[in-house]
Amino acid sequence: MMNIKHFSLFLIFAALLCSCDKVIDIKLNSSATKYVIEGMVTNEAGGAQVLLSQTKNFSDNNNFNGVDGAIITIEGNGAVNVCTAAGNGVYQANTLIGVPGNTYKLTINIKGNTFTASCTMPQIVTLDSVYVTVDNLNTNKDGSIRKYATVEYKDPAPVKNYYRFIQYLNGKKEKSIFVNNDEFTNGQEVNNPLNFNNDNDDPSRNIKKGDKLSIDMLCIDEAVYKYWYSLVDGASGNSNTASPSNPVGNIQGGALGYFSAHTIQHKVITAP
Amino acid sequence: MKKYGPVRFLPIIYSIMRLSAFVIAVICCTVFIVFAHPPVYAQNPLDKTITINLNNEPLKQALDKITAVSGVNFTYSETVANSKVKIKLQAANKTLRQVLSEALAKYPYSFSALDQEVFIRYDAEKLKKSSIGTQVNAVDDKYTISGVIRSQKTGETIIGATVRVVGMPQGTSSNEYGFYSLTLPKGAYQLAISAVGQKNIVKDVVLHQDTKLNILLEDGEQELQSVNITAKAPGGRDLESTQMGVEKLSVRETKNVPVLLGEHDIIKTMQLLPGIKSAGEGGGGFYVRGGSADQNLILLDEAPVYNATHLLGFFSTFNSDAIKNVTIYKAGMPVQYGGRLSSVLDVKMNDGNNQNYGVSGGIGLIASRINVEGPIQKDRSSFLISARRTYIDAFLKLSKDTNVNRTSLYFYDLNTKANYILGDKDRLYLSGYFGKDVLSPDNTTGINWGNATGTLRWNHLFSNKLFSNTSVIFSNYNYKIKAQQAASNFTVFSQIRDWNVKEDLQWYADEKNTISFGVNSIYHTIKPGEISATGNSGVISQTLQSQYSLENAAYVSNSWKASSIFSLTYGLRLSAFSILGPGDFYMLNADGNITATRHYTQGQVVKTYINPEPRIAATLQVNDMASVKASYVRNVQNLHLISNSTSASPTDKWVASTNLIKPEISDQFSIGYYKDLSDHKYELTVESYYKSMDNQIDYRNGADIFTNQPIETQLLYGKGRAYGIELLIKKKTGRLTGWLSYTLSKTQRKIDGINDDNWYNARQDRTHDIALVTIYQLSPKWTLSANWVFSTGDAVTFPSGKYQVDGTNFYYYTERNAYRMPSYQRLDVGATKLLKQTKKFSSELNFSIYNAYGYANAYRIYFRDSKTDPGRTEAVKTTLFTFVPSVTYNFKF
Repeated sequence: MMNIKHFSLFLIFAALLCSCDKVIDIKLNSSATKYVIEGMVTNEAGGAQVLLSQTKNFSDNNNFNGVDGAIITIEGNGAVNVCTAAGNGVYQANTLIGVPGNTYKLTINIKGNTFTASCTMPQIVTLDSVYVTVDNLNTNKDGSIRKYATVEYKDPAPVKNYYRFIQYLNGKKEKSIFVNNDEFTNGQEVNNPLNFNNDNDDPSRNIKKGDKLSIDMLCIDEAVYKYWYSLVDGASGNSNTASPSNPVGNIQGGALGYFSAHTIQHKVITAP
Repeated sequence: MKKYGPVRFLPIIYSIMRLSAFVIAVICCTVFIVFAHPPVYAQNPLDKTITINLNNEPLKQALDKITAVSGVNFTYSETVANSKVKIKLQAANKTLRQVLSEALAKYPYSFSALDQEVFIRYDAEKLKKSSIGTQVNAVDDKYTISGVIRSQKTGETIIGATVRVVGMPQGTSSNEYGFYSLTLPKGAYQLAISAVGQKNIVKDVVLHQDTKLNILLEDGEQELQSVNITAKAPGGRDLESTQMGVEKLSVRETKNVPVLLGEHDIIKTMQLLPGIKSAGEGGGGFYVRGGSADQNLILLDEAPVYNATHLLGFFSTFNSDAIKNVTIYKAGMPVQYGGRLSSVLDVKMNDGNNQNYGVSGGIGLIASRINVEGPIQKDRSSFLISARRTYIDAFLKLSKDTNVNRTSLYFYDLNTKANYILGDKDRLYLSGYFGKDVLSPDNTTGINWGNATGTLRWNHLFSNKLFSNTSVIFSNYNYKIKAQQAASNFTVFSQIRDWNVKEDLQWYADEKNTISFGVNSIYHTIKPGEISATGNSGVISQTLQSQYSLENAAYVSNSWKASSIFSLTYGLRLSAFSILGPGDFYMLNADGNITATRHYTQGQVVKTYINPEPRIAATLQVNDMASVKASYVRNVQNLHLISNSTSASPTDKWVASTNLIKPEISDQFSIGYYKDLSDHKYELTVESYYKSMDNQIDYRNGADIFTNQPIETQLLYGKGRAYGIELLIKKKTGRLTGWLSYTLSKTQRKIDGINDDNWYNARQDRTHDIALVTIYQLSPKWTLSANWVFSTGDAVTFPSGKYQVDGTNFYYYTERNAYRMPSYQRLDVGATKLLKQTKKFSSELNFSIYNAYGYANAYRIYFRDSKTDPGRTEAVKTTLFTFVPSVTYNFKF
C-alpha cells in the first residue's frame, strides 16, 4: 500500500501553480553531538557489523563521521561476541551468523556512555522472484520509459511480517528505502513494485535494458520496520509532514539509529 | 514514494501567465493614473452659506428649494415629507446651519450633517422640551410589534437589520430569518430600521394593539449612517448587544476585495480580519484565535460542511453568487451553536428573488458561474440555482501530449434553494449544496471528493413573540482515491455522514428579556476506509470499522437588557455525545499497544460524554459612542480531524471521540472595547482573549496514518493555550472604505510524549498579523481596491543537525516548532469597471493581481543534499504565487 500512503497530491498542485524552488541561506542552530548506531546481524557470514558515527551540524560537510575507540559486543547464539574495530567507525563480528528466532543483544561502551539494544531475527520468507514492471503513468525525465524492479513473495499468514528491500543497479545502491509490512496483505502472494522518485533526475538511477538489477530482501522485525518507516517519514528533510521528528529507534541509552537482526536473500536479474 | 508527474502541467500554466502580461501592464497604468488625482476635500454641508426667501412653504417644498440654491441634499422620513408645517423665512448669506435652526425652531424637527447630505428628523425630545405636541402615553399597557424585514427589490429576508425606537433606548434586530419582535408601552413611535447595504428608513407607528409590520428596505449603494436617526446607540453596528468576537460580512462588502485568480471568496476576505488567519498561501482553510483548522464549525444553511475547500484548499466551497451573508463567531458563541472549539462560521444562502426573474454570472480565468433565481409564485415562493465550474481541464484537453490531455482536473458547485411562504405564520425552506472535486492524471489514478448537504426548514410563529424554526439536515462528505501500481488497481473510499434534527425557539418575552432555547440531535456515521484491490499486489479488499455516534444537545439562554446601559446574556448548553456500537473498542498501554479489546453490538452505547457548556456575556454601554463587553464561553468538540500534512488534504482523517479519545474542551475569556469615532465614520474594536484547550490530539512520532490498526494507537493527547489582543479600525462610509487589522497573539500546545512534554508553539502561532484593506470608489464606473498583509512566519521544526544512515543523509531534530518560517507579506490590487448599468442589464469587468510586487513568500522550506556540491546539504524554499493576474467578467439581467 505504499502507493496510496504516499499519494502526493500536494506536489501535483504545487507544480500546477508554477511553484518555484530556490536554495536559500538559513541559520540553523547547532546541537550537541549524538552518537548514531547502525547495528546489524544477518544470517550470512560477515554480516554482523556495527557502524558508529556522530551527528554533525547542518553546515558541515557530508563526510561520514566514524567514531573509533568503542567497546562493542553482540550477545547471541549462547555467546558474547566482541566486535573488532576495522577503522573509521566500523566494527565487525566476523564469526557471528544469525539464526532466525534467536534474540541478539547489542552493547556499546564509548567514553562513559552505554547503549544497548536487542532484536529477534524473524523467520525467512522466500523471495520467489524479481522482475521489471513499467510505469504507465510517468516517464523518466529524459522521456524514456520508467521501469521498476518488482518483488514477489508469499506472505505467511500466522505472524506479522516486515520487509525491507535494497536495490542495486549495476552495482550502485539505490538510496531510496523500501519497507513493507503485511497489514493489508497478510497471507497473500504479494507483488510489490519498488517504485521511487528520482528526485535528482540522475539517469544512472533509471532502469534500462541490459542493466544488472540486484535485489536484497531483508526480513526485519517490527521495531526495525518502524525505524525505517519513521526515518523516511520524519527525518528525510523533504517530506510533507507538518512536524518532522527523529525516527523511533530501538536503541536504549540516548543514541540515534537502530539494531537489526534480519535474514537476507539476494536475487540478480538482467533488466529486459 | 510515488509522485505523480507534476511537470506536465507547467507549460499550460506558463502560457496562461504570459498571456496575462499585457493585462498587467494595462492595470499598472490605470492604477497610476487613478492615484494621481487626490480626492477633493469635503466641506461640512451645514457650513455652506446661502441666500433664500421662503414664504409659507410646506416643509418638503422648503427643503427642495434649499437644495436648489445650496446643492445640498436632504434625507428625511415620511413624517417629514408629509408634514403640514409651513416655513416662513428670509435669509441672506447665512450658513445652512443658521437657516435651518431658524426655520425649524418652532417645530418638532431637528437636523444634522450626514456625510455630504443633511438629515432632517422628527425629534420627540425637542417636542418635549418645547412643550409642543402630545406627551408619550404613560399607560402601562404594552403591545408587541413584529414582522419580517425584507429587501424590496428581491424579497430576500434581511438578517441582522437593526430596529430602533427613536428617542428611546429600546431596540432589537432581525433574526436569521428576518423576523423581529419588539414590545413597547402603548403610544406613538418612530422606528428606525437600518441594515448593511440597505437604505435606512423611518416608520411611524401608533401602538394601541399588537401590530404586524413587515418592512421592505431599498438597496442602498452606500450604507447610510443610522447615527443621526436615533438619539441612542447609533452607528452601523450594535454597541448595545452583548455579542462580541463576531464579524459579519455581506457578499456586497467582499465584492471588490482582490483575491487569488479572481474567484471572489468570502472566506478569504474573512482571513483579513483580526484573529482569523489563513491556513497557508492562497488557502481557504483558516485558524481562529490559535485553534486548528478543524475547530471551526462551518455551517451552510445550518448544515455542517466537513471539507470547505476545493482544489486542495485553494478555493472555498462557497460560491459568492449564492451566499447572502456570513457571520463568524470567534468568542461568546450563542448557545444554539456547539460542537467545535474555535469558531462558528455561519453561511446563509440567498433565498431567491420572489419578485422578478434574474440571471447573473461571471466568466473568470479558471471558472465560470451562473446564477438563476426568481419567483415560483410572486411574493409567496421563489427558487435559486447557482452553479460554478472550473475549466482548467478544457485547456488540458487541447494539449497534444497524451499525458496531459487525459488528465481530469476540475471542481464544481451547485447551490439550490426554494422557499415557500405558507401563510402569515409559516414559511418553508429547502436548500441543497453539491460540490465535487476531481483530480486525476488518468482514469486509473486520482482522487475525487465532495460534499453534499440538504436542509429542510420550517419557520413557524406560535405568536408574535414566539418564533420557531424546525430543521432536518443532511450532510455528507466523501472521497475516493484510485491508484494503479503495476498490474494492480486500488480504490479507497471514505465517508462521513450526518442526519441532524433541530428545534430552535426564540421567545421575545418582554421589553427586557429575549429567550432562546432548543434541542438538537445529530447521528454521525464515519466510514474511515473501504479498500478494494484487484490484481496481484496481494492487498486484501476490506472495510475498516465504521464509527457511529449520537450527538445531542439542549440549550437555553436569556438576553437581559438590565438597564439602558447594561445588558447580560447568560445561558447553558448541555451536550451529550454517545458512542454507539457495533464495533471493537480497545484499551492501550503507554506505548500505544493494545492490551484489551471489547466488542459492542449494534446500538449498544459504548460511552456517553456529558458536558455542560456555560455561556455568559455582558455589555456596559459607556456612552452613545462606546461600549465595553466581556464574555466567557465553553465549547466541546467530539469530532476531530487528525492531520499531519502541511497542506489541507481531502484525505485528512475525521474521527469521533471514542472511549480513549476524549472530547476536546475549550474555555475562552474575552474582553473588548468598542468605540465609534468621528461621528461614527470609523469603528474601533479592541478585543483580548485567553483560551485554554483540553484533550488536544496529535500524532505520535512516526505514526502510520494509513493503517487498519485502531487510530488511537497512533495518537497522543495534551492541552493547549492561546491568548492575544486584536485591533480593528473600520471605515464603512465615504468613497474610501476598508479596514486595518492587527493581531498580537500566541498559541501553544503541551502534548504528553512530544517535545519532552514541554510547551511548544503550535504551527499556526504567528506573533504579528497585519491586514490593510482599502476600497476606493474613484468614479461611478471605477472602483479600485488593494490589500496588504504582513505576518510573522509559522512556527516550524527545522533540523539542528544531520547524520548518515545507510549511506544517506538524514536530519536531526531537537525541538518541536522552535524555528520560524520567514515572515510573510503580500499586496493584492484590484480594479472593477462597471461596463453597463441599466434597469435590465448590468455588467462589470474585474481585474486583480495577487501578490502584486511579487514577494517570494516561503510556502515551505525543505532540506536536501546540495545539487551543485554533493558534499554539502542545503535548504530550499518553495514559493507558490508571485504576481498572479486575473480578469473576470460579471453580468446580471
